[in-house]
Amino acid sequence: MHAFANPARFLKLARPLTAWLGWGGGLLVALALLDGLVLAPRDYLQGESVRILYVHVPAAWLGMGGWAALAAASLMQLVWRHPLAAIAARAVAVPGAVFTAICLATGSLWGRPTWGTWWQWDGRMTSMLVLLFLYAGWIALAEAERERSGDGRLAAIFGLVGAVNLPVIHYSVLWWRSLHQGQSIGLTGTTIDPAMLWPLLGSALGFTLLFAAVVLMRMRALLARQKVEARLRRLAA
Amino acid sequence: MKRKNQRLALLLAAAAAVVAAVLLAMSALKDQAAYFYTPGDVARQGVPTGRAVRIGGMVQTGSIRRAADGVTIDFVVGDETPHTIPVRYRGIVPDLFKEKSGVVAEGRFEAGGRFVATEILAKHDENYRPPVLDANTGEHKSRSLK
Amino acid sequence: MSHWPFIAGAYAVTLVATVGLVVASYAAMRRAEREAGTRRDSR
Repeated sequence: MHAFANPARFLKLARPLTAWLGWGGGLLVALALLDGLVLAPRDYLQGESVRILYVHVPAAWLGMGGWAALAAASLMQLVWRHPLAAIAARAVAVPGAVFTAICLATGSLWGRPTWGTWWQWDGRMTSMLVLLFLYAGWIALAEAERERSGDGRLAAIFGLVGAVNLPVIHYSVLWWRSLHQGQSIGLTGTTIDPAMLWPLLGSALGFTLLFAAVVLMRMRALLARQKVEARLRRLAA
Repeated sequence: MKRKNQRLALLLAAAAAVVAAVLLAMSALKDQAAYFYTPGDVARQGVPTGRAVRIGGMVQTGSIRRAADGVTIDFVVGDETPHTIPVRYRGIVPDLFKEKSGVVAEGRFEAGGRFVATEILAKHDENYRPPVLDANTGEHKSRSLK
Repeated sequence: MSHWPFIAGAYAVTLVATVGLVVASYAAMRRAEREAGTRRDSR
């Protein structure tokens, strides 16, 4: 892991990877969503509205995966003092928040025609909204810490503590009776028909690649800005 | 190397403490955080009449009755226990509201034990599959991988 | 109730947010790397 401690070595890999991930992810998302929107069958119970699955579920996974990555980067920063960890955490926060917001918005648009409501304070929805607030709080804290030229340690601790919300989201439909249905994809199998599962997995993989491309872009931007700031400090000294 | 291990151990201990605290709080919240009561819960604990609550369960087969006025609907909610709750609702129900399907109703219990709902929500399960009719039984066939 | 307006809304929200995120991140990266002079095509 410390092979990438040197930003120059990281950038050498990140530059070509950004384009590959970005175009690959975009193409995969386009194909999978076309499949989900046109070719995939409607649901026996929910009818056409089931097509919202192909954007809602990948967004939910990425919103949660984003915080998992943020927590992992926080751990690397606190324990191993990896120089890129704080940069990675800051690069993940905004895309993670965006996908969490997409999850909540599409979920609301899915809930109205199926459950008959835009929003209910059930365990799953509330814990997902908490995740969005955690992202907002983390972004504000990291920004405030950076302005006081801190090393991001407070944000890293927040990132680790906030990770307890992830199992709460996951188990919210199992621990508490909720309006949201239980999980459809588990370790032992799935309750989703193959004709619907494939566009879902394709879309999830495509959005994940796009997410990775966005994280790399933001890391490169942060590294470049850091370089400019260091140069300005040298000039001022 | 030593300091790294120290930091790691400290963090893991702190993380374990936080997780334990949250899990404890969650299990304590288990009953309060339940989004609705089932007929079994209501029979076991009893729910005071006149207080706004949510009940949920399955709409019993053949229990849906539409009144002559066209907007009042009566049905019975059951669960895996033998207990059931009769529900009355005036208004438009969601498309997914049907027999043998999940429902959550918000409202109050009347003195006679009937639940008068002010809002009806449909609850579906985690199965997603195309509408395929089984030629033999005329039932929707499950093609899930489970 | 027709489901299509809801489906169109959900896909529109997703695409607008995703494209906006990618474009904004890309523009910020280009600008920052140009200022830092770390791109071969700048200067």
